[in-house]
Amino acid sequence: MACFLVSTAAAIGATVAQKVVAKKENKKTEIAETEIKEYKFGCETKWSTRLKYLATTLWTGSFLLAGEHVIHGEVVPFPPFLTAASDPASASEMLHEMGTVGVGMFALLVVAWGVGTFLWDLIKYRKHKKAQLKEANEEV
Amino acid sequence: MYFLTALACTIIAGVLWFFFRDRKRLHLDFLAITFGSATLMWLVDCIASAIGGEGFLSFDDPQDGWVALWTLLGGIGLWLLVSFIANNGKKESPKDAPKE
Repeated sequence: MACFLVSTAAAIGATVAQKVVAKKENKKTEIAETEIKEYKFGCETKWSTRLKYLATTLWTGSFLLAGEHVIHGEVVPFPPFLTAASDPASASEMLHEMGTVGVGMFALLVVAWGVGTFLWDLIKYRKHKKAQLKEANEEV
Repeated sequence: MYFLTALACTIIAGVLWFFFRDRKRLHLDFLAITFGSATLMWLVDCIASAIGGEGFLSFDDPQDGWVALWTLLGGIGLWLLVSFIANNGKKESPKDAPKE
């Protein structure tokens, strides 16, 4: 009915968070450009990049689902835009669906994003460790 | 039906992303994420339908074919729009430059 709206709202939040974090990171890099950093797990990928991927995940999924709702006639181009919102019985059913299916969709996307970013960090970390080991062997 | 279409598109886009992962200008990550996120969202929808007693997959609705077509064209259209048209004026990152 309108389950995609939960992810759309989350996408707006993720985009705003990404912009704020990117601004903060730019300020930080200006200050700490000369400092030599110690390698830590996950330090290669910026948080703004991670949030950008989350926002992309949420926006694109919501976009395709919104199209599906338009084809099924659940979203219309005139007020109240959602056909289920026209009568109170359907509206409560719609809110229930948003609370269950919509939140479930959002949660699954966040979990998928979390797993994806963790695996990405793990690949980068293992690459770094391999290179370090190779360097140490060459020195010996 | 559109869940299966999205799943097939995700697998194809994922395989393409894996084989062409060095060609960052193709933005195949965006395409794979687009189809992947839609697949996950429809997976939840299918699970909810199955819990509601309607069956995990449904092939009865005549509009399902249009949704499947929308999934394919919408995903590819969004990929073309965001990756190539909207990002056309952006400066190339030094990381994306071809290695010598």
